[in-house]
Amino acid sequence: MNERKAAAYRRGLMTLLILAALTAVEYGVGVTLTDPRVVLFLIALLKAAVIVQSFMHIYRLWREESHE
Amino acid sequence: MSAATAHHDEAHGHEPSYAQQTKSNRLGLWLFFFSELFLFGALFAARFALWGNTRPELSQVLGLIVTSILLVSGYFMYRAEVAIAHDDRKTFLSSLLAAAFLGIVFFVGVVILEWNVFGLELNAFGVEWFGRLKPRDGVYGGVFFAMTGMHALHVLSGVILILFVWNNGRKGHFSPEQHWGVEATALYWHYVDVIWVFFYPALYLIGHLA
Repeated sequence: MNERKAAAYRRGLMTLLILAALTAVEYGVGVTLTDPRVVLFLIALLKAAVIVQSFMHIYRLWREESHE
Repeated sequence: MSAATAHHDEAHGHEPSYAQQTKSNRLGLWLFFFSELFLFGALFAARFALWGNTRPELSQVLGLIVTSILLVSGYFMYRAEVAIAHDDRKTFLSSLLAAAFLGIVFFVGVVILEWNVFGLELNAFGVEWFGRLKPRDGVYGGVFFAMTGMHALHVLSGVILILFVWNNGRKGHFSPEQHWGVEATALYWHYVDVIWVFFYPALYLIGHLA
């Protein structure tokens, strides 16, 4: 039980680090490229996908009931 | 037994279990998110239709700071959900408070600093901490305040929901097996985060200065 809890906390922290890294890249791209529209949109899509998968657990929609 | 009574008994004999109810609730909430996409999508489209490849002068550093705060808040909300699922009440309650606090900081960052409702000025560490854009500033002001205003309203309602869940959690209302209220609030909070993921570059990073 404790191992599973620790793993879940670690997963959350990893997700946060990935989002932070993507946000930093996004900022860098935004302030350096002259027309960053496509790149920024792709980064935003990637960030949204990470949140929807890791934080919002979208897979629970088509899985038998569980809070894990 | 009359046919009506039998029908009544049958109907009440099939009360959905908590798990089945949660599954239905979850689908309903996701459908609500989908419906809200039309609202935020329209604002997002309005930004590109009216601003094109330009943007107003906004502090990009301030945008980065409030974005980071919202991301960290989302992490604490996730932590709260994991904690209640594992009956870790202390972490559950403290994480909820952290998420709510950071949500309030984000809200203040947008309303007090970016909207500059008090008309202040401060330039420190090379950052312009108070915004200059006003709602009356043509399409730039209109779109910016519509997008950030609608989003801030969702942040505010999310913070209220989190504090409501915290208060119920403090009274011992949730358990590892039954905590749909926590999950729903977390989902809503992350959804608000997802919207900002698209709004942030659209407002602060894309386009040449107008």
